[in-house]
Amino acid sequence: MKRPVIEFRDFGFRYKNQTKPTLYDINLTIYEGEKILILGASGSGKSTLASCINGLVPFSEKGVITGSCQVMGKETQGESIFKLSQVVGTVLQDSDAQFVGLSVGEDIAFALENENMPRRDMLPLVEKSAGIVGMQNFLAHLPYNLSGGQKQKVALAGVMHGDVQILIFDEPLASLDPSMGMTAIELIDDICTGQKKTAIIIEHRLEDVLHRRVDRIVLMDEGHIVAALHPDEFLHGTWLSKYGIREPLYITAMKYAGCNLSEQNNLSDFTQMTLSETNHKKLQDFFISKGRLTEGRSDHKTVIEVEDVTFSYDSILAIQNNHFNIQAGERIALIGKNGAGKSTMAKLLCGILRPQKGRILLNGEDYLALSIKEISEHIGYVMQNPNQMLVKDIIKDEVALALTLRGYSKEQIEDRVKESLEMCNLYSMRNWPVSSVSYGQRKRLTIAVILTLRPDTLILDEPTAGQDFRHYTEIMRFIEMLSEKQNKTILLITHDMHLAIEYANRAIVFADGEIIADDAVFKILADDDIIERANLKHTSLYHLAKKIAVSPEDFISCFIAYERRMRT
Amino acid sequence: MNNRMIINFTPGSTTLHKLTGATKVRSFIIATVFLIMSFDLRLILPFAVAATYALFSLKPNWKPIRYVFTFFMLLNLLNLFLFWIGDPGIGTMNSGGTTTILWQGNRFYLSAETAWYLLTRFCKMLASFLASMVFILSITPSEFAAGLNSIKVPYKICTIVALAYRCIPDIVRSYMDISTSMQARGMELDPKKVPVTTRLKQTVLIIIPLILSTFENVGNIANAMSLRGYGKRKKRSWYAEHEPTAADRIFTIGYIALGLFCIVYILYRIFSPDYHLLWYPFTS
Repeated sequence: MKRPVIEFRDFGFRYKNQTKPTLYDINLTIYEGEKILILGASGSGKSTLASCINGLVPFSEKGVITGSCQVMGKETQGESIFKLSQVVGTVLQDSDAQFVGLSVGEDIAFALENENMPRRDMLPLVEKSAGIVGMQNFLAHLPYNLSGGQKQKVALAGVMHGDVQILIFDEPLASLDPSMGMTAIELIDDICTGQKKTAIIIEHRLEDVLHRRVDRIVLMDEGHIVAALHPDEFLHGTWLSKYGIREPLYITAMKYAGCNLSEQNNLSDFTQMTLSETNHKKLQDFFISKGRLTEGRSDHKTVIEVEDVTFSYDSILAIQNNHFNIQAGERIALIGKNGAGKSTMAKLLCGILRPQKGRILLNGEDYLALSIKEISEHIGYVMQNPNQMLVKDIIKDEVALALTLRGYSKEQIEDRVKESLEMCNLYSMRNWPVSSVSYGQRKRLTIAVILTLRPDTLILDEPTAGQDFRHYTEIMRFIEMLSEKQNKTILLITHDMHLAIEYANRAIVFADGEIIADDAVFKILADDDIIERANLKHTSLYHLAKKIAVSPEDFISCFIAYERRMRT
Repeated sequence: MNNRMIINFTPGSTTLHKLTGATKVRSFIIATVFLIMSFDLRLILPFAVAATYALFSLKPNWKPIRYVFTFFMLLNLLNLFLFWIGDPGIGTMNSGGTTTILWQGNRFYLSAETAWYLLTRFCKMLASFLASMVFILSITPSEFAAGLNSIKVPYKICTIVALAYRCIPDIVRSYMDISTSMQARGMELDPKKVPVTTRLKQTVLIIIPLILSTFENVGNIANAMSLRGYGKRKKRSWYAEHEPTAADRIFTIGYIALGLFCIVYILYRIFSPDYHLLWYPFTS
């Protein structure tokens, strides 16, 4: 029998300033060496549960605890956050905020510094930890020169000193591109197996975590645990759709094909899964009988033309000879790893930066003649973080700001504010304070802010970053509606391949400032070369197609076509 | 980010860079006392020469320094001018001697003593500027924290200082992002097109979300720090603070000697009956 390392018994927790408990009826035992995935929508209590293990609750975030929570056989309430930090290492979600040191070495050493360890004892330990995560050659680097994945590795190295038995990862995939996310999951798995640690991963991106084996999935909803099962059992059940978790794509595809999931072995481990005979047959039938995506390139008029545009920041080339056209009403995904040039391109399109070579045409005219202000009436740019766009107290004023700055008359302002707030379904909240609405609503508000200027093209930077599936769907359906009902042209900057599959028709792929592909989404996601160069990863649809020996490109196209029909 | 700012984030490779934070902070404090205590060019000029040499030895990126230097010079000249306007007899007052008129205007006059006083004052400011530059350019925020801690400043205050430095580039980036989005909404930030007052108002509009998003981060950082045992013990060690080298020992002897000299000088200044603030060599 394995030794339990964490035990919750009838555990509950209520934050000091809240009336209802955030956690209740928690009964869970986690054994030594287990790898646990905690799933749940935002607000389901999964992060709070982790805070109870690492001691943030109740030592940093005060509240009332009922029942018992034991870590390594000791009641957490009787310990301190410092004592707990010697057995529990936590990698927080925001890898920027937890980068406390000035350089990689310093950040890894932070815990040792706090132990008042002499520097000469510290150096070899820092080197050792850095070596485990593969960052030993970066010790002098600054956080600004690291990728999201590297920052996370540093964070992990920084909590692995000494006798740490349990590692908690709070949404480790949130800011990583697909291939980095895959590497992160592999790293977590290797470290936990190699160093014999217990791992607790909090995520809502189920499919990405399942890239490597997990022992149990704990599903949380509204403060309690609804299921704690082996992943295979878990996927056989109907938990996912019920609790707002995104299904892995291959499972969706199998469901569309009418496969019988309960007779399928290794459902959670896609690479080990061998399709049962009937399921194999069903998938093939699905492939043959269902239609393909019709090529949607119509003869709409061209709204944006980018001609051989080059741009560099202080002699560092960011955009090199970019060339593409955008037609009215298209939905395009701009993809590529961080720093590949997507955001620079977006800024060029908005006129915040201007091309150093080449030109950009809006509706056939060179946009150099237009000011940023005038361009914003054609192209609107919605930033990733709504908090960086919202500057006023009241929703109505926020939306009116751009118009006030332009000196519109009072009636005009009122008309347009009403129009865009109605479009975004926020009109009834027009007098509410901006700070009182939810994240999803704030996101919609930023779109409303842009819509008042009636641009015909919207650029959305990572519109769904950090959102759970319910919010994701809410935001994306809204964007889709804008595209279909209002005939807006949509450019989506994204890491999320699911999003590209579901909502974009075309993808422009950036790598090192160059455009390496510009084609239909399903073609790009089936192209090995592009996937590798742009740090993407193969979707499970690709592998599923390989399993039934059909063309991945056709299979993805078939899937998208079916999905779109299902949705409308 | 690094090359555009004066603050140093990576340890450099010259001798001065390689000193420990403790040596840098202590030397700087004593140098400051040294500069403040006198109006004696015999002390100030050699120091200014040494500081210039030190600045060049750091092989800095001159571009931002030139900018700060111009700004400093303008301010300093204005300051000297105001001193003269305020009291044309200031030189005589501090040298305790005579007044030799060099130029007589309507209401104002310039005496040799005042000119000498202003020159001394200028050299003093210049030397302080050079010393501060050398200090800022040679130290990283972590060394600064470690150095402060070495003179018994509580380490919590030291880490706050280091963290503030650490966050400056993040805040600058955030500011740029917000101003980008405001420009896209039609806010004109071009200094040529908008009057200063409007721009000020607009800047306030940008700073509000900036402050809010910074506050959001504070909680996260605090959690990250306590999860790694920050504040657990009464003392803490510093990864950035290496063991003293031979150069550190030489500097230590240097600043202790300088410190002793300062004490003697200040005592003399307090107790000597015929001490004059300004050293004036031309008394007739």
